[in-house]
Amino acid sequence: MNNISTTDWNGLDNGAFRATVREFFETHYPNELRYPETRLRWAQVRGWYLALSAQGWLAPSWPRQHGGMGLNPEKLIIFIEEQERWGVGRSPDMGLTMVGPLLIQHGNDAQRAYHLPKILAGEHIWCQGYSEPNSGSDLASLRTEAVPDGDDFIVNGQKIWTTLAQDATHIFLLVRTDKAAKKQQGISFLLADFKSPGISVRPIRNIAGHEEFCEVFLENVRVPRVNLVGELNQGWSIAKALLGFERIFLGSPKQSQYALARVHEAAQWLGLFDDAVFVDRYTRLALDVADLGALYGRFIEQVKRGETLGPDVSMLKIFATETYSRLADLLVDVAGASGAMPGPVGLGGGQVDVLTSYYNARPATLYGGSNEVQRNILAASVLGLPA
Amino acid sequence: MSMNPADEPDRLQQLKILRESALSFATKESPRRRARAWRAKAPGYDRCFWDALAVQGWTGLLVAEAHGGYGQGFAEMAEVVAALAAQVAPEPVVPTLVFAGRVLALAGSNETTTRLLGELADGRTLPAVAWQEDATGTLDFAAPATRLERDGAALLLRGHKGHVRPGAGADGYIVSASCMQGLALVWVPGDTPGLDVSSRLLADGSYAAQLGFDGVRLPGHHLLAAGRIALEALARAHDETLVMASVELLALLRCMLSMTLDYLRTRVQFGKPIGSFQSLQHRAVDLLIQQELTAAVVAQAVALLDADGDTAGDATARSAMASRVKARAADAALRVAREAVQMHGAIGVTDEYDLGLYLQRTLVLAAWLGNASMQRRRYAAQTRAALTQSLE
Repeated sequence: MNNISTTDWNGLDNGAFRATVREFFETHYPNELRYPETRLRWAQVRGWYLALSAQGWLAPSWPRQHGGMGLNPEKLIIFIEEQERWGVGRSPDMGLTMVGPLLIQHGNDAQRAYHLPKILAGEHIWCQGYSEPNSGSDLASLRTEAVPDGDDFIVNGQKIWTTLAQDATHIFLLVRTDKAAKKQQGISFLLADFKSPGISVRPIRNIAGHEEFCEVFLENVRVPRVNLVGELNQGWSIAKALLGFERIFLGSPKQSQYALARVHEAAQWLGLFDDAVFVDRYTRLALDVADLGALYGRFIEQVKRGETLGPDVSMLKIFATETYSRLADLLVDVAGASGAMPGPVGLGGGQVDVLTSYYNARPATLYGGSNEVQRNILAASVLGLPA
Repeated sequence: MSMNPADEPDRLQQLKILRESALSFATKESPRRRARAWRAKAPGYDRCFWDALAVQGWTGLLVAEAHGGYGQGFAEMAEVVAALAAQVAPEPVVPTLVFAGRVLALAGSNETTTRLLGELADGRTLPAVAWQEDATGTLDFAAPATRLERDGAALLLRGHKGHVRPGAGADGYIVSASCMQGLALVWVPGDTPGLDVSSRLLADGSYAAQLGFDGVRLPGHHLLAAGRIALEALARAHDETLVMASVELLALLRCMLSMTLDYLRTRVQFGKPIGSFQSLQHRAVDLLIQQELTAAVVAQAVALLDADGDTAGDATARSAMASRVKARAADAALRVAREAVQMHGAIGVTDEYDLGLYLQRTLVLAAWLGNASMQRRRYAAQTRAALTQSLE
């Protein structure tokens, strides 16, 4: 591996580490990409990705022997906090957050030796092939099928809601390899190259007018058997085990804090802080955001102590995304007649994009397990309510 | 005690021991039938039980050692408050030990505060704070209509107060009044001639008092504090009391949710436990989220009080925190109370079922010292004032 980090980041004190990270982001992250309101495309973010790569900071959580920074949870939290603080956008990062950890934990040496350097070099961009047209919340019912044929699997089926598949070179797939087994037990994990004949990608335009997700069609695609990760039919448990403590970041208050700041700005331009109806609504939400911060802090402390997160962390994602959604509603509301105008609109003294947070709030309560599925999980696993 | 307990493993261990002993005491000595029995029976609580709290050392928990107490922090007090609240114990622990006790401690050391703190710590005296005046209990500390004047060496008090807890059986009142120096805090013993006390029954079977002072004469040494120190003592004790009332509300909320979850698991309709129905499951999860939000904010607020300790601290930050925690705890507990009754069905609206004890106490605590809307208004005004200041 060419860029093994020689620095023991965990040995630095927290303040020094934070300062180092902050300085790098402030110096090198492109200004025009700060606080992006939509997902960044590869063409926009490639330069930043390669800059992080050159610095050896692309994969903060990977172990150092695999080219990561090897950060412990406490340092990783600082790294993420600094990203959020500076408004560093997400790159197409499925290779870093999913495929890397997957191969490090469940892959074999050959898979690691081939794939990890290519992810770190920005040569391979990955996307996640989980959902299917008839398997969303009930993901385990997925039907994309892989049938062994010599040294290959032949894969047939369709994936959907695949984020930024049009920018990806590779896809990791959950596929059915045993139709007779109970649904969770006949699923395997496969890695596929988009150059393989039979794969096609069709972007889907969302209600905000962006093409952030895609359909992926797989028609008699030959995937070499060496691309099976873990044991045959163990894909479901591997995918579940991948849901590490990073789930906590789905419940970060950052998105809501940022939305609250925009509402505050717009309300000042419009003189709404003299309006009792607005102030009541705003204050409720400001308190929701502050209290979300307190709850988030409690889970962060748990992670820092090195404890594993339980299923109760789902409550963070629910409250964070629903608070964000209520803030998005308020922003549309304060804009009045301008609340139906996409893009920046002039309100009093300044300009604000009214509808983007509204559009972003829609998938927020869906992805990573819809909030209804999260509630099912909490009811069963935390409250012990009967099935 | 000025450190965050999370930084002190020994203190965490001691808190755990205190929690266990408070829970075991409360469960054994204060079964819910005791709370039931004292409803609407003056004074609404048991002075003998108060003596038992004194024997445990809990009446003196917050009082400084120099005044005969144990000088413990709010985290310790919270353990006792939560354990008693979980049994809906009717004794006025927070109104006297926290609100009155802290006003006395913050009002500065003099003959009367020293004597009263000692008597509070050993359980002999139950003081109450009387500061609100209008029907809704407007949160205005600074300029009460009640007036205190000098009359030679004596003091003369005119005016009225409302929403005083405990509303019966208090041995005396710490009364706020306007005077030449601004705000005054004055001690009015319960047996003072001319003091008119009328008790009004509250939803939980306890009482709140209305006090009338029609030219009540008091000795000069009953002036506890005047001017800025009086205002700061009342405001700070009020904020600390909001936090401890939120500790109580959280304990009530936990009990109501736990009773409801037990019911959802066992009540069978349509051939299944009703807790298997998704609509009820999702509502129960929303209550869990409110419980955990409240717990997180309560923990933050208690830690802030303990971090301020004996220092002045940041009064604005403390007030904002106090308003924030009371708003969350009151709204969350009221919501859980309503949903608990709904999910229990008709049994939930009967007087004989214990859920009602918790609902009624929740109503009382949610309304006391500024309900959620009043706290939000205060929070909005404070944070806006702070923002304006920072921009200037």
